Amino acid sequence: MPALIELHNLTKKYDRFTALDSITLSISPGVTGLLGPNGAGKSTLIKVLLGLVSTTSGTGSILGLPLGEETQQLRSQIGYMPEDDCYINGLTGIESMQLAARLCGMDRTEALRRGHEILDFCGARQERYRRVDTYSTGMRQKLRFALALVHDPKLLILDEPTTGLDPEERDAMLNRISILSRDFSISVLLCTHILPDVQAVCEHVLILGAGTVRISGSMQDLCRVQTPRFELRVSGAAEEFSRQLQNRGISVLECNGDSLSVLGHPEEHTTQIWQAAAELGEIVRSVVPAANSLEKLFLEAVQETEHGNS
Amino acid sequence: MAIHNLGYRHCEGQRGSHRTRWLVLTENGIRRAWASAWLRRMLFFAWLPSVLMGFMIFLYEQSESTDDPFTRAFIQMGTALLEPGGQGNMQPSGMLGFLREKDDHPGETRHLFWSSLLLTLFRRSQPFILIPMLGVITPPMVSQDIRSRAFLLYFSRPLSRTQYIVGKLATVIFYVLLITLMPALMLFCTGLLLSPDLSVLTSTGDLPGRILLASLLIAVPAASLSLMLSSLTTESRFAGFAWFSIWIFGAFTAAILSNSTWGDASSPLKYLSLFEVFSEVAGSILDPQLASSNLEEPVSILAVITAVSLAVLFRRISAPMQV
Repeated sequence: MPALIELHNLTKKYDRFTALDSITLSISPGVTGLLGPNGAGKSTLIKVLLGLVSTTSGTGSILGLPLGEETQQLRSQIGYMPEDDCYINGLTGIESMQLAARLCGMDRTEALRRGHEILDFCGARQERYRRVDTYSTGMRQKLRFALALVHDPKLLILDEPTTGLDPEERDAMLNRISILSRDFSISVLLCTHILPDVQAVCEHVLILGAGTVRISGSMQDLCRVQTPRFELRVSGAAEEFSRQLQNRGISVLECNGDSLSVLGHPEEHTTQIWQAAAELGEIVRSVVPAANSLEKLFLEAVQETEHGNS
Repeated sequence: MAIHNLGYRHCEGQRGSHRTRWLVLTENGIRRAWASAWLRRMLFFAWLPSVLMGFMIFLYEQSESTDDPFTRAFIQMGTALLEPGGQGNMQPSGMLGFLREKDDHPGETRHLFWSSLLLTLFRRSQPFILIPMLGVITPPMVSQDIRSRAFLLYFSRPLSRTQYIVGKLATVIFYVLLITLMPALMLFCTGLLLSPDLSVLTSTGDLPGRILLASLLIAVPAASLSLMLSSLTTESRFAGFAWFSIWIFGAFTAAILSNSTWGDASSPLKYLSLFEVFSEVAGSILDPQLASSNLEEPVSILAVITAVSLAVLFRRISAPMQV
């Protein structure tokens, strides 16, 4: 499968400040989470992808088009939802949609039809006929998402799409992102600080730190632990259970309250676990293979950055 | 879910050319500006002088078709009363003079009379509508886009910064032409319709071109300057204040310096007043008696104003992207 975005030794400097430092990366189609602490270079990377700022050095391609060339062609295939509260003053929601669609080349009637269609998809109701400057934060968020979608892009760049949304709307937003990616093959670059959102919808993760790529890969690979282990929860005290397992030749890494961290795959030790439970008269509540949490990965990347800076 | 909600669907429609995207901005800008009741009132008042001048053309042409001395005297008295006056030595020779000379050189006199009326329109009436009109429509045009960060929405689409500027400029130029080019052309057409013979076409055929040139030389620099001021702030009232200040303080400063011991009426200091610059340009183009006058200086000033304004405007629009 050809890469969606490919960058080679890409550098962007603002005077003396290096925002992106020789970045080389490849992003596959699908939903990719773009993470990083403040000042990591996420916004600059997005602006470079959109052709809003020129690069200092390096090459790359997006959707098969060379970076920095054919910018208009590229932008007509990318939908961008900015993090900033931005809107076109004096227009209603549907007028904003119509204007955005017309700026992408649609005629007036088609732009209006498409605007209504996308607002329906985004769950906007009669508020579309109100001026945007009277909208609440959540409504503006929905409108910005709709504006990014109106011209049917192949790549959606979403900057903090769930910020300011209530839990129900947040779930709906994540669901829309999944639908667009799964059913309509629209690739998504999701830039957010909300890690559960990334875990919920992303297939790939890219973590930036101090203008460099810290971690890049598929969510599945990154969350897979190096040494196989599993978490076991029992009904009573875990210490006695731990001793029983160790007597049966199983390594217990950690014992805390009613849970144990056990080395190996759970299916290898099924019999011994049930035997130990029967012997102690305890109930096994859950057996779950261990996984690296995204939070842990993110913190590691940030700490590496801080160490590098100091 | 609403029953008409079809969910997401791909959009298969034909897309227009990238090159005409600025027209969308222009159309949107014209529509939004038209929503202002103040603008509509000003446009109404902008057209009133041309109606008055149309009536003067009517009287002028009527004076030829009647031989009754009483009627002729009455028309002469009427045109004398309507004479705008105050044009100093640029005024041909007064309305009564036109009528006296008319019988001897009908073509030349008609041209002189029409161009004098047009000059009066450009120099004496339209600037007083142009200034408040641009003071109403242009201050929010860029400043509000900066304030609401609309640039991210515009420039993440297939719209270049140049197209953005062209789109905004075209909106302002449209309204300026609506109070300069359009009434002047209407006046010209009124004259054609009221003229007794077709020789009017040959005697006044150069006027539409002159009207267009004078209108553009006013519209483009005025639009560039007003948009540049709008781009310098996020508060549109400050842009409006700066726009009025440039005209008013410029006129006062030029008047004071020109009357001082080290200045005179021909001093270049008079160009500190934009009134004077626009007036010189319109005068040089529309009044054939001043064809030899110096057009270079005021046109150079307007060219510099336009170039600097556009450069600042481009820079200000690019600035939010650099953060």
